[in-house]
This record gives sequence, C-alpha cells and structure tokens, in this order.
Amino acid sequence: MSSSSQFKQLEKLGNGTYATVYKGLNKTTGVYVALKEVKLDSEEGTPSTAIREISLMKELKHDNIVRLYDVIHTENKLTLVFEYMDKDLKKYMDSRTTGNSPQGLELSLVKYFQWQLFEGISFCHENKILHRDLKPQNLLINNKGQLKLGDFGLARAFGIPVNTFSSEVVTLWYRAPDVLMGSRSYSTSIDMWSCGCILAEMLTGKPLFPGTNDEEQLKLIFDMMGTPTESTWPTVTTLPKYNSNFSIQVPKDLKKLLQPFTKEQLDDIVIDLLNGLLQLNPSMRLSAKQALHHPWFSEYYQQQPHQ
Amino acid sequence: MSQEHKKALRVLMKSPVTDDMIKFLTNTTLQVLPASLPTPPTSPSDSKQQRLPSLMTFITKLVRYTNVYTSTLLTTTCYLKKLQRILPKDATGLPSTIHRMFLACLIISAKYHNDSSPLNKHWAEYTDGLFSLEDVNLMEMQLLALLNWDLRINENDLILDLRHLLEPIMRDLEISYQRKKILKSKSEQHQYIQRPVSPISPTKSYNKFYRQVSSSSIDSNMSSATLTESMSASSSRYSLAQSRSITPVSEKTPLVLNDLKTGYRSTDESWDFEQIMAQYGF
Repeated sequence: MSSSSQFKQLEKLGNGTYATVYKGLNKTTGVYVALKEVKLDSEEGTPSTAIREISLMKELKHDNIVRLYDVIHTENKLTLVFEYMDKDLKKYMDSRTTGNSPQGLELSLVKYFQWQLFEGISFCHENKILHRDLKPQNLLINNKGQLKLGDFGLARAFGIPVNTFSSEVVTLWYRAPDVLMGSRSYSTSIDMWSCGCILAEMLTGKPLFPGTNDEEQLKLIFDMMGTPTESTWPTVTTLPKYNSNFSIQVPKDLKKLLQPFTKEQLDDIVIDLLNGLLQLNPSMRLSAKQALHHPWFSEYYQQQPHQ
Repeated sequence: MSQEHKKALRVLMKSPVTDDMIKFLTNTTLQVLPASLPTPPTSPSDSKQQRLPSLMTFITKLVRYTNVYTSTLLTTTCYLKKLQRILPKDATGLPSTIHRMFLACLIISAKYHNDSSPLNKHWAEYTDGLFSLEDVNLMEMQLLALLNWDLRINENDLILDLRHLLEPIMRDLEISYQRKKILKSKSEQHQYIQRPVSPISPTKSYNKFYRQVSSSSIDSNMSSATLTESMSASSSRYSLAQSRSITPVSEKTPLVLNDLKTGYRSTDESWDFEQIMAQYGF
C-alpha cells in the first residue's frame, strides 16, 4: 500500500469522466505515474465507476491495458496510481494535423495501433469484461508506439446472470446502432463497433460518425452503412427505439468515401476489416479474436508462430 | 459446474425475493462472525437511541424499501462468504456489526453489478435512522479495504455459495424434465421402445467441486483482526443499552440448512415456475 506522500504531484493531464488526472513522480523509485484523483462526494460514497474501474483493472494485466499500480483511499479522496503514458490517441492525431485539414496517419502506424487495440480488447473480452467507452481519448500511447486501453470507468463484467444493462453507454460517436436503438442485451460486439469507428478515424484523421444527438447519430450511420431491415438484421424492428420511418439508405462504398482523406492509398483488405467491424447487426460483427486473424494483419501473425 | 446448476441459477436469479432467501442471507451473515453472538444484556436502553432490529427484520426492510433485484441481493452471499474466509474464526464485533457487514456487502453488490444504484445517502435513509451517512460511507470503505477491491464474482462462486437455494430448483427442473420425457415417450410409444432414462445426479459433481474449493485455504495477508475491530469501532454508540432488543430466536439458532431445503416452495406461491422454466427452454 502506498501513501500519497510517496508521490510528487506534477502538472494536470486532464479531466476524466469522474476524476482529475495528474502526472506524478514516485519519489522512492523516480518513476513517473499518472495519478487519477476521485473526489469522494459524501452523498454518493465511493462512486460505482471507481469501484468497477479498480476492481476490474486489478485483474487486467496485459501489455495493451494501462496498469493500475495502487489505490490510495482516504476519507475524502481516492487516488488511483496508474502507469504513465505520454499522450492519448486523440491528442496524438491532433498533433499530426497540418494546418486546418485533418489527415490520417500512415497505414503502417494505423495497423500497429489497431492491432494493439484488438490485443487489449480481446484480453478484456476473454476475461469477460466489456470496456463500453472505447474512443481515441481513452487509448493511451507512449513514445515507444505502444497503445494501451485506459479509463475503465464505464466497464463492467459480464457472463453471470445478473441484472440489466444500461443503454446509456459509450460516447455517442462510437456507440453501436443496436445500443442507440435501446438494446440492453449487448455484449462484446458493443466494443467492436467502437473499434471500427476508431480505425476509420485513424485512417482519415476525422471522426467517422460525428452526430450531435441519438437520432442524428443513427442517421449518419445508416447513410453510410445502409438502413437495416428484418432481412439484414432479424429482430431489429423489435428494438425499443426502432423507428419504421428511418429513411431508407443503401450501403455506400467505404473506400470511395474515406479515400479523399487518407494519407495513403487504401487497399481492399483494410476496407474488408472495416466492414466487418461496422456490421449493423451485432451478431454479424467481427469478434476481437476474429479481427486479430484478419488478413490485414497477416504480417503480424506470421511472425508469431504461437498465435 | 453442470448445465443443471447453471439453469437453476438463472431460474433463481429471475424469481422474486422470497422469505427463504432472506432467511438464508440472515444465516449467512450470522456465520461471518459466529463468535459475536449472543450478546449479554446490559443497561436499559436510552429512549433516544434507535433500538437495534433483528438482522432478519433489518434485511427484510432493506429489501422492501429498495426493491432490490434478486440477483443483487443473492450476490451479497458471495461477499459475505469472502468475508468469512478473510476474518479470523474468533473475530467478534459489536451487536450492530453484522448489520453493517450485511449492508456494506449489499451496497457493494449493487454498485458493482448494476448500471445505476442508490446513493449512500439513500442507503442511510433505508436503515430507518440506524446508520448515518457517515456510518455508511465508513462501512463501505472498510469493506472495500477488507476485500482488497476484489469484487469479481463468477458463476461458479454463485453456484457454490447459493447451492442450498439451487438444490430445490434443480429437483423441480428434473421432475419437469422427466414429466415431459414421459409425455413424449407415451406419444411415441407405438414407434419404439423407450429406453429408461438414467437419472442425473447433480449433487455428485457439485460435491467434487466443493471439496476442491474447500481444501484450498483462502488466505489474506491483511491484518484482519484490526480491521474487524475498526469495523465495529465506529459502532460504539450501539454497543450498550440496546441488547434487550437483540435476541430474536432466529439469530440464536445456528444455521439449519435443512429447513431451507424443504421450505423453498411452500412460502411463496406467487411466481409461476412453469413459466420461468419455459423461458429457459424447458
């Protein structure tokens, strides 16, 4: 157990959903850490977000998940001591923008980041944990090019027969269509949709579906991916917020839509992966394990005979 | 764990809260600190102070006020069992310590397993003035420290810890399954001779599992004695003057699990077993 006096608090790194994050220095070891401070509101007690984040991250020890080193619990403050990461993917992409027009990252870098994202989320899913808030701001990177999943404030365990799930999860732009239509029976596919949005965002440098509200978000999705029907997605019409007046759109050619914004020429293989992740019907969406075996990554798994 | 256990668990979690569940939870909670009971009577109660209700009354009221999900309520069992393993056998507490332990486990279960749950302010209100908001915040923090934030519960934990509630359901599921089989075989009798169905013995597989688990001692490197003390330290204002109210029969009785086996269906006829089973494909 550490005490707060062990760390020197340095500059503020950002505000999370329920906490403030500072850079910190472990005075004994000289190692930098990220200190996530959660103010304890006496009426709420310990926030459930903090309870889950700590409990879940304690078990998730993986190269592509930010490591939780310690927890310091005092009467009015809870401090989570995390592995220090240089920046998040959003800030990194912004820093790569030249002038006013956003531009995507190099394909080889996109591939490396996306592979690590799948490795991290695959580990979560194997351990029966849903992240439920994947977005560039929550993907942390360091100067070695490593990418790690962070901010498990919305995460939760699944696989035991308990209770309902909220559909008020995942930041709007990265929220899956089934969740937007009010599904509460989602599972790992909820994270895979977000992975698809993130892949497109890395390729083009701009968010794929930047909606301002639930309706517009669905409209943007259907405009690009087509409007779902009972034949393409059985049971879609039974979802709570399904609307029979959705305007009927046909799926567009993603390659044509994204190509103008990418740094390099897109090939059909990455578009195939993107289509696999952005399946409207959650049961058709690629799983993290399947995504790791997608041909786009063949150069990686051929190097890893044990995979 | 067998498929039968898993099916029974799903049925149990979907059923409404019954008196037997509350009895079971009361006994489970009492087992955590067996050495602390009974409490000798002390000086007469101060009229201003809250009388300590029996644990069963306390749990019943919490269930009624919060309308808690069965699954949230029953998962509390796993946390209580964890506590029992962590705390020393001779750990004692003050009369209200068991109430605190139960409430803290229920709050943690609700916060961990549900996407929305009551604030501690509300939990304090649900205790009818027995505990203040500060009390509730403290007991929550102490429980998190005791459990070392290890709050993950898996299906096997649930099946093991809730086995006494699951066994009657499994018997019912088996009976219903056999009945269907007979009906089916009667309708097909003229086509072929039905082979006798060998009965399933779920208890066997469960015993095997249980022996494995119980033989591995679960240890904690935490100074649990100190923490038990600290858990009860803040309860000093309940330590005296109220023991008169705390001698309900049920609390003195050590856990009688056989009662639970037989009592399971008789007390609550309000839910349709067939319907719930149909939901799970029977």
